[in-house]
Amino acid sequence: MTDAYKILVVDDEPDLEPLILQRMRRQIRAKEYGFVFARDGVEALEKLNADPTIDMVLSDINMPKMDGLTLLQQLPGVDPNLRAVIVSAYGDMDNIRTAMNRGAFDFVTKPIDFDDLKITITRTLAHLAEWREALSSRDQLVALQNELSIASQLQQSILPSIPPVTHGCEVSANMEPARNVGGDFYDYFVLENQLGFVVADVSDKGIPASMFMMSSRTALKGAAIGVREPEMVLYEVNKQLQQDNPTFMFVTAIYALFNPDSGLLTYSIAGHDPPLLVSASGQVTELPLTKGIALGIAPEVAYEQHSVTLEPGDTVVLFTDGVTEAMNADNELFGMDRLTAVFDGNPPSSATAASEAVFECVRTFAGDALQSDDITCLTLRRP
Amino acid sequence: MKFSHERSGDTLVVNASGRVDGSNASDFLDSLQGTFDPGDQRIILNLSSLEYISSAGLRVLLMAAQNLDKQEKSLSVCSMTEAVGDVFRISGFDQIIDVFPSVEDAKQG
Repeated sequence: MTDAYKILVVDDEPDLEPLILQRMRRQIRAKEYGFVFARDGVEALEKLNADPTIDMVLSDINMPKMDGLTLLQQLPGVDPNLRAVIVSAYGDMDNIRTAMNRGAFDFVTKPIDFDDLKITITRTLAHLAEWREALSSRDQLVALQNELSIASQLQQSILPSIPPVTHGCEVSANMEPARNVGGDFYDYFVLENQLGFVVADVSDKGIPASMFMMSSRTALKGAAIGVREPEMVLYEVNKQLQQDNPTFMFVTAIYALFNPDSGLLTYSIAGHDPPLLVSASGQVTELPLTKGIALGIAPEVAYEQHSVTLEPGDTVVLFTDGVTEAMNADNELFGMDRLTAVFDGNPPSSATAASEAVFECVRTFAGDALQSDDITCLTLRRP
Repeated sequence: MKFSHERSGDTLVVNASGRVDGSNASDFLDSLQGTFDPGDQRIILNLSSLEYISSAGLRVLLMAAQNLDKQEKSLSVCSMTEAVGDVFRISGFDQIIDVFPSVEDAKQG
């Protein structure tokens, strides 16, 4: 067994230390990771300088002497391979925006949900492991193809595994990458009493696309924590990505917010295919496209949003064009008609069954044809 | 993917056909820009024979449009098939690049 990862927790709240040690005791005992603590940014830097084995920083923002945002700025000088997760107040958009600009890897909100924190830590450490492997491989001058496959693993490592039933709704998501690293991703966030969902597709492939995807994902999560309305989330992300984008990469995305109590689903689209709604009786409709442009290319884009109430048994299917543009050996596209036919008169029994049905049909259709694009599908069902 | 072009005065009409995706997007950009002359002020891309364009194709189109814009020249597209038109509409690119129903409409701009 390798050494446990070491996480530096920076917070001026003295009660946090015993709480973390208590709630994470299983992980600590299993030597998955351990914790060291600092009370402010200055103490954090001292500990980081004294102990080069620290892997990750979990920092609050408001602290005496040196705050979390200043600390974030200092981290690359200590060790460029550290990853930082910021603990922010819900809705604190200004600080979240600053933290994103200063390279925060991820965010958790206060009050800390420990299940969410465990998931975030696991994901950050998995990313770190892949990153280190990529670095050591680079040192050994491995072939480009090898780097691409590492980049692909890096990308996979940040996709969340979603529990099939979470916070009063069923969710299932999967991404099947094309041969080379691409730019599809999905994500979900728990936001107070609602759930936020993302399906996105970065233009182009290769390592630059996967880098762009990483920053898109962080920007989306930060914006989702910072503002409520989906149209404002996309507005924020577009502004972030557009600021410094000399290569004209862009990402198409759909961001949806679901309230499990009322069944209300509100979504906003940035240049992405609109989702499908499958009713409990098996009627399939394409939800309306909302006005907007793919993220990252035009300044000050106004996005629109649309709301629909899901009845019990209704399923929403979010997907990337890897589904509809999957090709068979005769160069035919899978298309919307075939996707609609998957569910027409055939309502899925669960979110998992719905996403499996999509992948199964695409696979059967494509046969032996080479997969040229990432295929992503996220399904949400109101039980 | 194939190109042909015709020039009248300062207007260049480029006809593109075939498919543009991640595998040939940079060739598409090179070939497209290869048809430009320094005297061309208005470039009209006729997509009537283009079967398919992926997001990687849209990206290189955007690069070409921005390059031309910097030189105070213009790029417009016209005569898209329904499938290619859907890609422009859904991605929002029809709000960034001028789209016309025909070459004649594009010339009158």
